[in-house]
Amino acid sequence: MSEGDIRLEGLVKNYGDVVAVDGISLHVPPGEFFTMLGPSGCGKTTTLRMIAGFERPTDGQILLDGVEMSSTPPHKRRVNTVFQHYALFTHMTVAENVGFGLRYQQVGKDEAKRRVDAVMEMVQIGELGERRPSELSGGQQQRVALARALVLEPPVLLLDEPLGALDARLRLDLQVELKRIQEQLEVTFIYVTHDQDEALTMSDRVAVMKDGKIEQCDVPAKLYEEPDTAFVANFLGSANLLNVEARAAGDHCEVMLGNFTLRSNSSPEQAGVGKAMIRPEYVKLEPQGADGENRVPGMVEEVVYMGFHQDVRVRLANGDLIRATVPSDGESPEYHQGNAVAVYLRAANLRVLDDSPEKATGETADQADTAAA
Amino acid sequence: MTRRRIWGLLAAPGMAWLGLFFVVAFYAVISVGLGNVNSLYQPVPHWNPLTWNVGYLTEAIQSVIPGGQNWPVVVRTVIYIAAAIIGALLIGYPVAYYASRHAGRWRGLVVVLLILPFWISYIMRMFAWTNLLAPDGYGSKILSALSIDSLFSSLGLLDGTDWLGGQGITVIIALTYGYVPFFILPLFASLDRIDQRVIEAARDLGAPPPSSFWRVILPMSKPGILAGLVLVALPMAGDYYTQTLMSGSPSTSMIGNTINNYIQGGPDKVLGSAITILLSAVLLVFMLYYLRTLRRQQGAEAA
Amino acid sequence: MSAAAAEQGATAAAAERPRFSLGNPWSKPRWLTGITWVYILWSLLPVLLAIRVAFNEGRSRTSIDGWSLKWFFGDSNFSVFGDPTLQDALTHSLLLAGLAMLIATPLGIMLAIGLQRWRGRGSGPSNVVALLPLVTPELVFAVGLFLLFTTLLSTIGLGTTAQAIGHVTFSMSFVVVIVRGRLVTIGPDVEEAAADLGAPPLAVIWRILLPLLAPAIAASLLIVFALSIDDFVVSQYLASGAETTTVPMRIYAQARGAPLPSLNALATLMLLFTLLALVLAYGVFRFMTRGEKRGSAIEQIASIDSGGGR
Repeated sequence: MSEGDIRLEGLVKNYGDVVAVDGISLHVPPGEFFTMLGPSGCGKTTTLRMIAGFERPTDGQILLDGVEMSSTPPHKRRVNTVFQHYALFTHMTVAENVGFGLRYQQVGKDEAKRRVDAVMEMVQIGELGERRPSELSGGQQQRVALARALVLEPPVLLLDEPLGALDARLRLDLQVELKRIQEQLEVTFIYVTHDQDEALTMSDRVAVMKDGKIEQCDVPAKLYEEPDTAFVANFLGSANLLNVEARAAGDHCEVMLGNFTLRSNSSPEQAGVGKAMIRPEYVKLEPQGADGENRVPGMVEEVVYMGFHQDVRVRLANGDLIRATVPSDGESPEYHQGNAVAVYLRAANLRVLDDSPEKATGETADQADTAAA
Repeated sequence: MTRRRIWGLLAAPGMAWLGLFFVVAFYAVISVGLGNVNSLYQPVPHWNPLTWNVGYLTEAIQSVIPGGQNWPVVVRTVIYIAAAIIGALLIGYPVAYYASRHAGRWRGLVVVLLILPFWISYIMRMFAWTNLLAPDGYGSKILSALSIDSLFSSLGLLDGTDWLGGQGITVIIALTYGYVPFFILPLFASLDRIDQRVIEAARDLGAPPPSSFWRVILPMSKPGILAGLVLVALPMAGDYYTQTLMSGSPSTSMIGNTINNYIQGGPDKVLGSAITILLSAVLLVFMLYYLRTLRRQQGAEAA
Repeated sequence: MSAAAAEQGATAAAAERPRFSLGNPWSKPRWLTGITWVYILWSLLPVLLAIRVAFNEGRSRTSIDGWSLKWFFGDSNFSVFGDPTLQDALTHSLLLAGLAMLIATPLGIMLAIGLQRWRGRGSGPSNVVALLPLVTPELVFAVGLFLLFTTLLSTIGLGTTAQAIGHVTFSMSFVVVIVRGRLVTIGPDVEEAAADLGAPPLAVIWRILLPLLAPAIAASLLIVFALSIDDFVVSQYLASGAETTTVPMRIYAQARGAPLPSLNALATLMLLFTLLALVLAYGVFRFMTRGEKRGSAIEQIASIDSGGGR
């Protein structure tokens, strides 16, 4: 498990005047399932293609186990790729596809056959060896693409939206399986996707990317619960964003929302004029007049039935609109338009965001919201 | 990077070949046309642009402007080509339209039959007509039995009854016949690309069939029509064999015949080259137009 | 080239088009059907008649006159295989077509692959030059080569070599168009995948690109053969004498004289060769693209030709 350490240092890629990747530095230790998540055009695929060797970085370094490889051609790199649309060789059988790369590794015939059989067995396409790619379903083609790369036993596997072309059910099955294979082989996975669910369920760590930069990089739970920026908050799940003024108060912050003073457990370093975020599932609705810290009066403006929960939109007394998720569990009260309520924004879940003005434009936050929805 | 060098190396032999036998060959036309002749009237090409002699080019220009010796030929060429491409449009559009939209279960057969003329030599197709239109040929007999020859005569389109005896109308019909397959196929392809749902949308929005044709299908197929017309007009501009086979008379000769006569027939190769330069200059615009539509089409398919 | 899109459109249209009936506003306009079939008859009947005359018993080339094969083999002086000038024309046409196929196809394939990937200085003009022969009137092109071979390259001079060079030059562009069309469908992914799996650049071309290009190569060989065997203008301009006369040149020279049906027989044989090549290439094409999702290969071959007309 000592192999498969990837380090990117100040990676930049320009196409003419267009900056696709704008200085990315990160370290992926061996055996990690690392995901680059972001909307299309954020530079995640370009970064992956630079690691694979299809694009040459304009600047910066790519190190595999400490060895610089940004000028090594792709066929001499020990990393392999699973392509978005599989890129199977249609003129070869499945077994020939899987065995393709072994020819360039001086592997004996018997050894090659043994390895091809083993890897096909592992991804459960053992009986499809003589078929042609055109005769396979999307999920099977996906498995061939995976087997073809894994048979070379690369220390690092790059996956470019490998599940993007599959339908939702199949996607879930393959997510579980990819994770199983990754843990079994202890291979470093670098996974590119724009699907937040995929990123959250499979990854050890996720880097959220935007405009060629890494916006935030952390373990999934931390990203979801403690996003640093409005972009990350919106891209992963849905978020209520409130314009606030935060003041340092001891080991926490005081948040001014209109005339209301709320407490946030965010670190006092975040103080300043900016945005605060709370997830709709943490917004609690209480009867009108309920008392206590972090309660703001409001009026229900709209109730949207969503099946397993209701999405209740409440106009706060300061004028902001906030969404609350109320579970349809038979215990929570039903809300109707015009109900007066008290909205409880728990201090532990009310998070002051680290948004310098150029980072947090309202526009991108809106776009991310639509993308996430 | 090695990868990049390989692509350049792969292209090199083909580019060198085209450079020598296409670009330099055309440069030879310029060098001869802007060159001189020796005492035996053989051309002396001037390869160095600094020594170019515009004398023959001036003579060529003077011959193709109003009042010049070749002016009637130029006018005739334009009329013949215009008439032939209008004929190609009137015949080709309905056929391509039918094949792409209405052929139903006959579609495969219709398409094969429309492609077939491609694989038959142009000269053979013309030769077939010389058999038919000979005075005792089946074509002449049928046209005579239907009184079409007398009809054409009374309209002033036919002189006498010998269709192969120097008749302009025969040359025009032959050009249409010869080139219309080259117009139909690209047009078929472009009509076929029009999504049936667009037409259904037009109908859904209340357009009756003729109107949905005029307002939707025709505008959408306009690029295909223009490209197809350019595609057939270009070779017509350099055609001399159709005229020779179907008429042979100087009274119906086209600019291609003039060039051919200068280059292959007489001693005036230099003048012939100069006229070739002029012709190419006029046609270059159309050639580049066609290449642009071709590239656009390929770009659209790549996306 | 356009076929993939065309196929999709076609199947969609076929599936969604309602059934026609009288009084249905969607009914098929009968006059369109009429025009189309009249056109098809007009375009093919003269040629069929010319072929029929080749089998005449008598000497008439304008009317049907019995059945025989004498104008092909029988007549010892005037049949295709009796008259050395006709036989030589046929051999010479086939020789030129063979040479053109052997040279233009590999050159065109390499050029197409190179141009498709090469994104450097000079790739723009090179693209134009590679396609310009498609639209250059043959006369202009032939005059250029004629002058080239009588001045600068007079060591080569006119004759078989010059004719073969001419045929290669104009047919190479067709190969480029066909192969690039296929390259676009293949896409860069498979090449990247092969490189990613450790294949060095030449192995990528040899093991991935060429096998995937096989149908385009078959189509290219066919089109080069057909273009060469049907060519008249370039052959005529670069000919050096009787022994370099091709079939179209022979037909052209004798059409307006008083030829015998043997001329029709010669033309028929040439057409037969072209159609044989067409069937062969169609078979290869079908075999090579089996399993790929597409409709009729006929329309694929059809779209090959829309690159340019001659």
